[in-house]
Amino acid sequence: MKVNVPLRAFLGLPVAVLLSMPAFTFAQSNFYAGKTIRIIHGRSPGGSGDLRVKSMVSFLQKYIPGNPTIVHEFMPGGGGRKAANYIFGSATPDGLTIGNTGGGMVASAVLGEKGVQYDLDKLIFLGSPYSSTHYIFLTRRGAGATSLEKLRSISGLRVGAQSVGHTIYNIGRLFAWVAPLKDPKFVTGYSSPERDAALLNGEIDAFASADDHVMRNIEWVRNKRVDLHLMIAVPKGLKHAEFDLPDLETFAKSEKERKVIALFRNLRLTGSPFFAPPGTPADRIEILAQAITKTFKDPEFAPHYKKLVGDDPSPLFPEENQRAIRELPRDAETIEIFNRLAGPGPLPPR
Amino acid sequence: MEISLLDAAVKGLLNVFQLKVLLAMLAGVCIGTFTAVAPQGLGTPLVYAILLPVVIKWEPVTGIALLIGASSVSAICAAYLPILFGIPGGSGSQATVLDGYPMGKRGEARRALGASFMAGGLGCLIGTLTLALAIPAARPLIYLMGSPELFVVMLWGLSMVAVLAGRRPLKGLIAAAFGLLLATIGQQAQSGIMRFVFDQPYLLDGFSISIIALAVFGIPSALDLALTKLGVEQEPAPLKGSLFDGVKDTLREWLLVLRCSFVGVWVGIVPGLGSQVVDWLAYGHAVQSAKSGKENFGKGDVRGVIAPESANDAKDGGDLVTTLLLGFPQGVATALFIVALLAWGFVPGPEMVKKNADIIYSVVWIQGLSGITGTLIGFILAQQLAKLAQVRYSIMVPVMFLFILMGAFAVNRDPLDLVVVVAFGILGYFMRRFGYPRPAMILGLVLGELMERYLYRSMASYGFTWLTRPAVIVLLVFAAVSFIMTLRGRAKGKGPEAQSPVTGAIARVGDES
Repeated sequence: MKVNVPLRAFLGLPVAVLLSMPAFTFAQSNFYAGKTIRIIHGRSPGGSGDLRVKSMVSFLQKYIPGNPTIVHEFMPGGGGRKAANYIFGSATPDGLTIGNTGGGMVASAVLGEKGVQYDLDKLIFLGSPYSSTHYIFLTRRGAGATSLEKLRSISGLRVGAQSVGHTIYNIGRLFAWVAPLKDPKFVTGYSSPERDAALLNGEIDAFASADDHVMRNIEWVRNKRVDLHLMIAVPKGLKHAEFDLPDLETFAKSEKERKVIALFRNLRLTGSPFFAPPGTPADRIEILAQAITKTFKDPEFAPHYKKLVGDDPSPLFPEENQRAIRELPRDAETIEIFNRLAGPGPLPPR
Repeated sequence: MEISLLDAAVKGLLNVFQLKVLLAMLAGVCIGTFTAVAPQGLGTPLVYAILLPVVIKWEPVTGIALLIGASSVSAICAAYLPILFGIPGGSGSQATVLDGYPMGKRGEARRALGASFMAGGLGCLIGTLTLALAIPAARPLIYLMGSPELFVVMLWGLSMVAVLAGRRPLKGLIAAAFGLLLATIGQQAQSGIMRFVFDQPYLLDGFSISIIALAVFGIPSALDLALTKLGVEQEPAPLKGSLFDGVKDTLREWLLVLRCSFVGVWVGIVPGLGSQVVDWLAYGHAVQSAKSGKENFGKGDVRGVIAPESANDAKDGGDLVTTLLLGFPQGVATALFIVALLAWGFVPGPEMVKKNADIIYSVVWIQGLSGITGTLIGFILAQQLAKLAQVRYSIMVPVMFLFILMGAFAVNRDPLDLVVVVAFGILGYFMRRFGYPRPAMILGLVLGELMERYLYRSMASYGFTWLTRPAVIVLLVFAAVSFIMTLRGRAKGKGPEAQSPVTGAIARVGDES
């Protein structure tokens, strides 16, 4: 049927009017009124990751138009892979189901680990309440590494960590590779408190740690029970308020090593991100992203977060989160070196 | 400002005796009681996670009262499920099912609950007292135990499993080996190697011990009731005795309570052991150290209830020693407790001992008072709850299945856990039917992962020289002596009924059907 111009104009008019009406806009933005948003955690309840998310909930409810109810579901397993698989493959992309895991789910995908059934480039990242940090390499005083020169000359230093592939293990290996250490031994299988006890009773000589852990045990430094040697700032160039230590990157000898350090930084920068399934309508993503941005900018958020989590937030905004994922170095050589660093075998040659 | 420990103790007590603090403690006790009676999974960590955003806005001592009240009593009241339904309670109360359920079935639920609460209350007080005494000198105790010493302790535990086999040594060893094999499933922490994962994300972290224990003990109990109709409808088991029989039993066995409480405190103090082993170690110790009536274990011996319950409740005191005095969280719940303390401006560890000793003593007092209150509430509720043992099987069986499935689902909220719980439940039923001891399997599962971890760490840090460490040698001697005495005890036994330390439980549980 041929439709003439006046008739098309006649039919199009109501649509145009409808689109221009505030009520229509209201209906879109009010999609969440009376709805329930499910946050799928890739972790067990109760840990610091859980608290990071919980610290945001009342703000998100305030800033999402329609003030939806927000509920938490926990799907631990595979360092966040199980939850990410669910969000990618099974969750309905309606803006009512979003995921939040530790950054391990990003690393698992980039490094090609088993059990990854999601595509990082298709998931929609919505930001993270924390991103920047400093990692510090320390030794117990009894190990005799009272200076960087001595640290590099000691053979067979025992470096403790949680498990092969754990962020703390990877960073310890990265320190050992770039510093470099002489024939270091990596002892894994510790929880964080076990590792602290092992350091203090001489079972291990060294470990890498996030700066907040060192700050919580600041008496180790004050009482000269440990020596601090090196640091990696995430993001690059971030100064530490308390410690002035050489950045590991200053010891990198080649572009290849700098790329590996950059990969580590970007992986870490993703923090514990929120993400939505591919295909979620853009207007709902926009609403969620705006609510998360407003939450991070709310002056009451930082003190609330600190009270609940015990640390200052270092937000990664939604667009920064997407960019950090996009800019992750993915060239084969860097990935291969990183995989060798994150694996159980000997350190890669420099 | 630093104050003397005596002044701190007095100030800590005065902090507690305020109406709002006492009310908060009472509210915590009520919450803890509810979580203990509810299906497992609604444990202390989840309760803490829910309460934390609220309590950090309160005054510190009031918030501490609510949190400690909830956690200290949840262990005391964890015996309801194992005794009344044959379903293992939360971790730390699983071994109670071995003797608690047979007692419940023969009409002694009140007695078992009485013993459980009394032992739990005393354990809690002993744990609290240890915490109070440990404040000046906790550090050396914790650093004494390195990976080599912990490996020997686990080996000691495994030697207990070997003798659990009783009249069926081969079946016991097969069950224990199967448990060890199950412990290898998932990503191996030390090497990162995937073992028996078959590219299934569900298996990346292995099987949950809570779910397996729930399955192999809970489902056979329910199936047994459903298939044989031996529920109290046909043979109503009269509720004989009273709660005070259990109290008297516990007081008569005061030395066992003391020993097992110290086992619990020690497990709580040492980083990494956790509540998964505490009840089993205490149970094994009870059977090994029993001078008479070893054959009664597993058939409803009250000592089999007293030992795990006293140890489980004393463990909380040990947990707090490490948490408060060194700043090491011993699990999710204590990690959250540390978060709360940090939010209030306290830094757990030596600094807190120096600067906020009064708050530590307030924790001690609240822990003790909560233990007493929880025990009393337990006694009050037990009178009514014990009557559940007389409910018709046609009502009880669906309720039991509901609790089991809810409990399994609550652990990870993963529907696949329901498949696993049913599969292992069927396996548990047949293990029971054909005399394969299920506790041996669970112990293999619990100890397997820990042994591997400690052995790996010992070898990686010390090579073979760890075998020459004095503490290792002493512990090896203890383990060997204990093992030999156990074997001698069995050899002296008469005929086929001769039982080994934990053998009774294993064999009896296997023989029941």
